Amino acid sequence: MNPKDAPAEVSFFEGLGRSTLVFGQVVERLLLTWISAFRAASAPGEGARNVCRGIALKQIFYTSFQALGLISVVATFIGATLIVQTELLGAVERETAGRFLVAIILRELAPLVTAILVAGRSGTAIATELGVMRVNYEVLALASLGIDPPRFLVWPRIVATLVSVPILTVYFSAMAVLGGFSAAFVMDPNGAGDWLAGISMGLTPMDVPLFLTKSLGLGSIVGWLSCYYGLDVGVSSTEVPVKASRAVVQTLLACITFNTATTIAFYWLMGTRLR
Amino acid sequence: MTILGDSGFDMPLSPEPGINFDRVHFSYPDKSPILTEVSWQLPRGGSAVITGGVGSGKSTLLYLAAGLIGPQKGNILLGGFPITPLLPSERFRHGLRVGFVFQEGGLLANMSARANVSLALHYHADVLALDEEAIEARTQASLEQAHIDPHDWDALPAHMSFGNRKRVALARAMAIRPAFFFFDDPDVGLDQRTALLIHELLCKLRDDPDVTLLVATNRGVLMERLEIPGYRLGGGSLTTRTEVHSIFPQAPVAPSWPAPGR
Repeated sequence: MNPKDAPAEVSFFEGLGRSTLVFGQVVERLLLTWISAFRAASAPGEGARNVCRGIALKQIFYTSFQALGLISVVATFIGATLIVQTELLGAVERETAGRFLVAIILRELAPLVTAILVAGRSGTAIATELGVMRVNYEVLALASLGIDPPRFLVWPRIVATLVSVPILTVYFSAMAVLGGFSAAFVMDPNGAGDWLAGISMGLTPMDVPLFLTKSLGLGSIVGWLSCYYGLDVGVSSTEVPVKASRAVVQTLLACITFNTATTIAFYWLMGTRLR
Repeated sequence: MTILGDSGFDMPLSPEPGINFDRVHFSYPDKSPILTEVSWQLPRGGSAVITGGVGSGKSTLLYLAAGLIGPQKGNILLGGFPITPLLPSERFRHGLRVGFVFQEGGLLANMSARANVSLALHYHADVLALDEEAIEARTQASLEQAHIDPHDWDALPAHMSFGNRKRVALARAMAIRPAFFFFDDPDVGLDQRTALLIHELLCKLRDDPDVTLLVATNRGVLMERLEIPGYRLGGGSLTTRTEVHSIFPQAPVAPSWPAPGR
């Protein structure tokens, strides 16, 4: 190897400095994705508003309605599995099992698993679609026509995931309760009522802000990161699968982190009112 | 003189509201600069051809001039407005209508030819004061002007030939009736009929005093046909070209435009 081609040795601190710089640039670009989408969405234009509203409605349809089948299967089985497992423990009362379902599934798994399913299904689609559009000069073509790419491409997709994740979370919760109730009924038809009573006792008014914070936060993270990685594709089509994969991985990590942080914050601030 | 845009930026009005480059610098990461401190001007209604070797940055120069990307240093004024702080829609609202025909067409893959052409008209319906009927009429007129077979109007770009895709891109650009027209290698890879259609259209645009035309090409035939000032891009600078011949000579093309077949 030519000595000139050999990679230059980098000290620990130099490497740390470079990584910090790269991280800072990614954070800056991530924030710019949000800011430019907000700025473009608030720009005047009745025609633009109508066009983008139509795109947002289509995206909501793809993201929420077309995911109902998948959500039904996953939620029903998760609900049924939890009830079977608590029944297997033996010593757990049915009311307590119902409260477990509220704490574990409705408060934790419903928003998180919904966001993960939306990221896997729609997040990859968004990142791939936008990446291909970048490679094929479609994004530049939009700008040349006086169409703001953040408004036309990013905003409707963030709105779609922001709206779809809460809707699907409610649906997930309902299907999980149905699955759990079905399992409880099959195991002991007389005890299913106690189990439902446990669910109603487990739910508190504070679950509403917790649900809204989690589902809206997770919904925006999915749309935001998917759009960011899609538009981060350069000029090569080989970058598209790389960025799509990165979009899903980073979205999963961000969703799990956000979900945990929100849970800790809520239990710290108003834990007694959630019991 | 300054005017205040929607975005709240003070925008100096250029005395020559064409295309103005003021000490513009642009380079891609890890590559030699495409433009180094380049100052250049194309007056309103003027026309020019940009030539240069492969990878010299002709397309990038067009993107910069059209305001699709921003320079790293210096200023670019398009029609008197600085391109950088303004959103594309804000430029459109200020009357800066740009028509850009990309080398590969740049059509939206999930939209039919008709939808591609009408998209900008729907998006700017309030600015252009167009209702649904007027949008449809203008879309059809643009598709007919580009000699696109009506059977292809509802076809997706993937189901069209390269030549037809380029014609749709042309129709899409013409539909918004731009004052600034940019063509990136307009006749490369085209059948003779489509190439002639583009050549004729370029000649019309060149003669139109309301249109500022910038063409990136290395095709001698096109340069000879247009007979407009040429600039050569290379080594980070833009220099005036004197001779009008291609660096890759092409076979001569018959100048007449045959009647379109339907």
